[in-house]
Amino acid sequence: MPTALITGVNGQDGSYLAEFLLSKGYCVVGTTPDESLDQQRLLHIRGKIEVVETDLLRQDLVENLLRKYQPDEVYNLAARASSRDLWTHPVSTGDLNALAVTRLLDAIGKVVPRVHFVQASSSEMFGNPSECPQSETTPFHPRNPYGVAKAYGHWTTIIYRQHRNLFACSSILYNHESPRRGFEFVTRKISRAAAMISLGEEKELRLGRLDARRDWGFAGDYVQAMWLMLQQPHPDDYVIATGEAHSVRDFCEEAFSYVDLNYRDFVVEDQENLRSEETGLLVGNPSKAYRSLGWKPKVGFHDLVRMMVDADVQLVHQQRAQQGQSPAFQSQTAVRQNPS
Amino acid sequence: MKKALITGITGQDGSYLAELLLSKGYEVHGIKRRSSSFNTSRIDNILPDWHEREARLLLHFADLSDATSLLRLLYRIQPDEVYHLGAQSHVKVSFELPEYTGDVTALGTIRLLEAIREIGFKTRFYQASSSEMFGTTPEHPQCETTPFRPSSPYACAKAYAHWMTINFRESYGLFACNGILFNHESPRRGETFVSRKITRGVARIRAGLQDKLYMGNLDAKRDWGYTPEYVDAMWRMLQLDSPDDFVVATGETHSVREFLESAFDHVGLDWQKFVEIDPRYFRPTEVRFLQGDARKAERVLGWRPQVKFHHLVKLMVDADIKLLEDQLSGHLVRHAGAHD
Repeated sequence: MPTALITGVNGQDGSYLAEFLLSKGYCVVGTTPDESLDQQRLLHIRGKIEVVETDLLRQDLVENLLRKYQPDEVYNLAARASSRDLWTHPVSTGDLNALAVTRLLDAIGKVVPRVHFVQASSSEMFGNPSECPQSETTPFHPRNPYGVAKAYGHWTTIIYRQHRNLFACSSILYNHESPRRGFEFVTRKISRAAAMISLGEEKELRLGRLDARRDWGFAGDYVQAMWLMLQQPHPDDYVIATGEAHSVRDFCEEAFSYVDLNYRDFVVEDQENLRSEETGLLVGNPSKAYRSLGWKPKVGFHDLVRMMVDADVQLVHQQRAQQGQSPAFQSQTAVRQNPS
Repeated sequence: MKKALITGITGQDGSYLAELLLSKGYEVHGIKRRSSSFNTSRIDNILPDWHEREARLLLHFADLSDATSLLRLLYRIQPDEVYHLGAQSHVKVSFELPEYTGDVTALGTIRLLEAIREIGFKTRFYQASSSEMFGTTPEHPQCETTPFRPSSPYACAKAYAHWMTINFRESYGLFACNGILFNHESPRRGETFVSRKITRGVARIRAGLQDKLYMGNLDAKRDWGYTPEYVDAMWRMLQLDSPDDFVVATGETHSVREFLESAFDHVGLDWQKFVEIDPRYFRPTEVRFLQGDARKAERVLGWRPQVKFHHLVKLMVDADIKLLEDQLSGHLVRHAGAHD
């Protein structure tokens, strides 16, 4: 039975990946910085995977972990997420999102050099791109500390592949969403608000720029692409995206009309949230992944939005049942079985 | 009187820059690391005068891996200009010490930028970027818009610092410039860098102290300039009306082999009789061809290099011959490397 190590297993992607690898017969070991952290996303598989506490800022601990579990595959998903507080902690963002990749690859080179490794890179590396859509060869122009740190991780992955002959891949992931997305992300804000408003719990949704466009896919599909990369004869880098751009307005329209509402009656473009766009139009060209990995996203935009709204409606019902009529669930996360 | 802070003042560039700024009437502050061996040899010749010059050159203990030390220093000095030259600057060593290189060279830069943010962004910031960031790019010559393809942990860290500098400029309006400096040499170049290794070897072979010089890849091509001219470009950048990034280079490219030829020629020896190839000196992923296009620096900064390749080689060989003679005759007890 192959063993996979997932860093950041309690995140959105980690939880989908853990589920998927379990279904493929893997023994799954996942890391978390702190066991007392919210493990909501893992509740349904908690007994089937091993979750270990570790500090990815310490290479000695990482080496011990590799020595102990002797993994066949390593998925590096741990990162400070691309949300607002990036600018308030640029040093620790760099330490975790950039330097941790160096530590992990260096440790792999020493302890388990045959491991197949994949780094979760990000479309944020393109920042303000010179071409659209972007492919594996598009130059980077990162516009925020997250994108800069991810670019460092991407190049580090390539350097260790070339220099140490490690089987190291970089997956350039475009936005990927799901019912397990954190509440601070715009897609989840919308799906939750559509659910809450449709059930009479809230009255309006304040958002930033409605015309901002993104390439949005389903996280469950994206983790499968990462797995496929590690099953190839040679390591390489791949853009993972849908190739379609939709605006925040499209997302609102789809989500609210699904619960028979008109988003125009509830969504307010908040002048205070109108920070200037940090990035240009990020749309990925996934043709290399189509061709070489045989990968294709299964969940399209409409199904993704509906899946997220369904889950948030269900969550409101659950919480009503649990807590009488007061829905105080700021910090909770919906957990659903992978629908695919 | 303007105040400048130089990180890496004990290095090659820092020492020349300190001299330049002193000659322009600046009060110069430098950061030095605590070390149990002497590390100020390059500035010893300007240090002893500091009583007479009313303490216009002051060294402080601080460390790029210690954010608090940087912040304390910036508060105390309130510099008008910060020249950030400090780094783990050796490419090959960065493969042995990738985490340390990332911590000092990449994260050290954000620690410094954060400290500048803390004191209110009144200072102008110069970041020492490097042509190594271009790495394996197929484009040449390389200019400010050439995409990066870093191929060493050092280059990755420098690219990270470069982009963070741009992020701080664009997001906070910090007056910050990146100088993308191509190789720049001088009699004060560290003895482990290829140019100095050659000129020092030539001096020792000529004196009969050594009969072989072991080298790595002779085909690597570099754009080699003279450091005192390059630090002048740094200063010019911070005197502009608005900040920008500049390639600083000679525009000529020469191989390591040509450097050997020219250096041995200068003392009337045939390099092929003394040079042997040692594969241990090969870099894991070798940057093949660097040639800078510095037309923007010429246009905007009015900067133009005067010392070209053969002149540079000659003056470095002469300086090493002189240094060796001084050492052998007892004129120099400690190896200073500062008397050119």
